[in-house]
Amino acid sequence: MRGRRLSGWVAAVPMAALALATVYPLVFTANVAMKTRREYVLDRFAPLNSPHWENIGTAWSDAGMARYFANSLLVVTVSVALLLLLGSMAGFALSRLRFRGSRMIFLGCLAALFVPFQVIMVPLARVMADTGLIDTYPGLILAYVAQWLPFTVFLMTSHYTTIPMEIVDAARIDGNTVYGVYRRVMIPLGTPALLSVGILDTLFCWNDVLIALLTMNSADHRTLMVGVTSLRGQYSDDIPTFASGVLIAAVPVLMIYLFLQRQIADGVTAGSTKG
Amino acid sequence: MKGSSPLVRPGAPGRAGGPDTTRQAGHRATGTGSRRAARSERLAPYVLVAPAVLIILGLRLYPLILGVNFSFTGDGDRNGMVVGLDNYLELADDPLFRTALGNVGLLVLLLPVAVAIPGLLATFIYLRVPGHRVFRSVYFFPAVLSPVIVGSIFNLMLAFDGPLNTVLGTIGIGPVDWLGDPGVTMFTVVGVHVWATFGMALVVFLAGFSTLDSSLLDAAQMDGASLARTIWHVVIPSLSRTIAFVLVTTMIGMLTSMFGLLYVMTSGGPEGSTYLPEYYIWIQQGQMNRPALASAASTVLFLIMLVVGLAQVGLLRRAGRQD
Repeated sequence: MRGRRLSGWVAAVPMAALALATVYPLVFTANVAMKTRREYVLDRFAPLNSPHWENIGTAWSDAGMARYFANSLLVVTVSVALLLLLGSMAGFALSRLRFRGSRMIFLGCLAALFVPFQVIMVPLARVMADTGLIDTYPGLILAYVAQWLPFTVFLMTSHYTTIPMEIVDAARIDGNTVYGVYRRVMIPLGTPALLSVGILDTLFCWNDVLIALLTMNSADHRTLMVGVTSLRGQYSDDIPTFASGVLIAAVPVLMIYLFLQRQIADGVTAGSTKG
Repeated sequence: MKGSSPLVRPGAPGRAGGPDTTRQAGHRATGTGSRRAARSERLAPYVLVAPAVLIILGLRLYPLILGVNFSFTGDGDRNGMVVGLDNYLELADDPLFRTALGNVGLLVLLLPVAVAIPGLLATFIYLRVPGHRVFRSVYFFPAVLSPVIVGSIFNLMLAFDGPLNTVLGTIGIGPVDWLGDPGVTMFTVVGVHVWATFGMALVVFLAGFSTLDSSLLDAAQMDGASLARTIWHVVIPSLSRTIAFVLVTTMIGMLTSMFGLLYVMTSGGPEGSTYLPEYYIWIQQGQMNRPALASAASTVLFLIMLVVGLAQVGLLRRAGRQD
C-alpha cells in the first residue's frame, strides 16, 4: 500500500509539471495583454503590479474585434440552432419511425461524416459562387450546417435509440401526430443530448477558421478567428494589443469550458463508447 | 458504428389511419379530413429528414463527386477542358506536394507517441494519483481552444527570445529556433497540436477505463505485478477498442485540423517544410487560383483518408473480436 502511494507521488510530480505547461501559455498571454508596450519590451515575464485594461479596449474597438465578435455571434447562434433543429428532426425519424429508405439515409450520413472539409472545399466554393452564397452570412451559415450536420444527426439518432419505443407509442395512442410526438416527447427527452451536441457544434463553429476564410472575402464579414489572424500583421509591433485580441476570442470558449465541461466530455465520448 | 440503425417496431406510423382514426373521430369531422391526416402522417418521416438530406446531399456528397471531376480538367487557359491525369502528374512533380506527403508519413510515425501520452496519463488518473481530479480537468482545457488561438499564443511562447527558450536557457539548452529552422518546425507544430488535443483523447481513454473490470487490476496488484507489466498485460488488452478509436480519431485530427496552426504559425514555411495536404489545397485554391490542381490534391487526401477509414474498420473489427 505504501509502495503504491509512493509511486503515485512519483507520477504526480511530472503530471503537475504538465498541468502547469497546459495553463501557463494562456496565463502568460493574459499577463502580456495587461502590460503597456514599454513594460512588455522591458520585461515580458514579470507579473504586473497594475493591469492596463486599455489594451483590451484598443483591440475591441480600434482593431475591429467588436465587429468580428458580433459576426461570429450571429453566425454561430443561427448555425447551431439550425443544426439542433434539423439534426433532432432527422435523428427522430431515423431512430423511431419506420419508412422506406431510412437505412440508406443513415448510411449516407455516416459516409458524409468521413468526408473531411478539405476534400470538398474547392467544389463547394464553386457551388457557393454559382449560387451567389459566397461572402454572405446565409452562405457561411449553410456551410457550417452542412459541415456538422452528419455528426449532429448521428449523435441524435444514437441518443433517440435509447428512448423506449413504448413512450413513443403511448404518446401516439394519446392522439399525438408524428409532429406532436417530436415536439412533446422527443425534444424534452432529448434535452441532455441536444445540450452536449449543441456545445460541441458551438465550439466547432466558433473555432473554425478554414471555412470562414474560404467563404467570406470582405473585411467586415470576418469572423472572430479570421479577425485574430489578421491582427498579427496589423499589430506586429504592439504585442500587448495582439494578446488582448487573442484573449477576447478565447474568453467565450473558456466560459464554456468552465461551466459546461461535463457536457463536452459526454459529447466527445458518445462516439467512442456507443460506436 | 451503429449496425442496425432505425430500431423501430414494424408499422409504427402506418397504423396512423387505423385505431387512431376512430379515437379521433370527434376531432376530425369528415372522412376526407382523416384521410388527409393519415397521408400527412405517412409523409411525416420524409418531411422530418428532408432538410438534412438535401443539405448533406447538396453541400457534402455532390461536391465530392464534382471535385473528383474537376481534378481531371484544366486550370486557367484550359479551364473546363479534360486533361486526363495532368494534374496528378503535376502534383507528383511538385516538391511542395511531395513535402506535404512526406509530412503525412511523419505524422503516421508520430502517431503512437500522440496516442501513448494521453493513454499513459489516463492510466495514472484512473489509478488515482494524488490530484487526479485537478489533472483531469486542467488537461482538458486546451481542447476547447481554436487552433488560431493556440497558434497565436504559441507564436509568443516559441519566439526566439520567448518564454520557452528562456526557460531552456536557464538549464543550459538552446536557444532553439522553433519556428525558423526547417528541420525543427514540423516537430514544433505537431507538438503544439498534441498540446492542444491530448485532453480530448484523455477523456475518451477515461471513458474506456470506466468500462474496465477493476477486479482484473486488483488481481494484478495482488500478484505484485509492476506498473509496466499491468499496463502491458491488463490495460492494453482490455482497452483495445478504445485504443483503436483514439488511434483513428487522432490520425484524422492530424490530417484535417492542423490548418489553423499552419496558417497562423508557419504559413507552410520555413522553406515549405511544414506543408500538409490540407494547406497545399488551400494555397492552390485561395492563393494560386488553381482550383483543378487543388481538386486533384483533395482527391489524393480523400484516398489517404479512405485508407485511414478502412484501417479503422479493420482495427475495430479485430479489437471487437478480442473483447
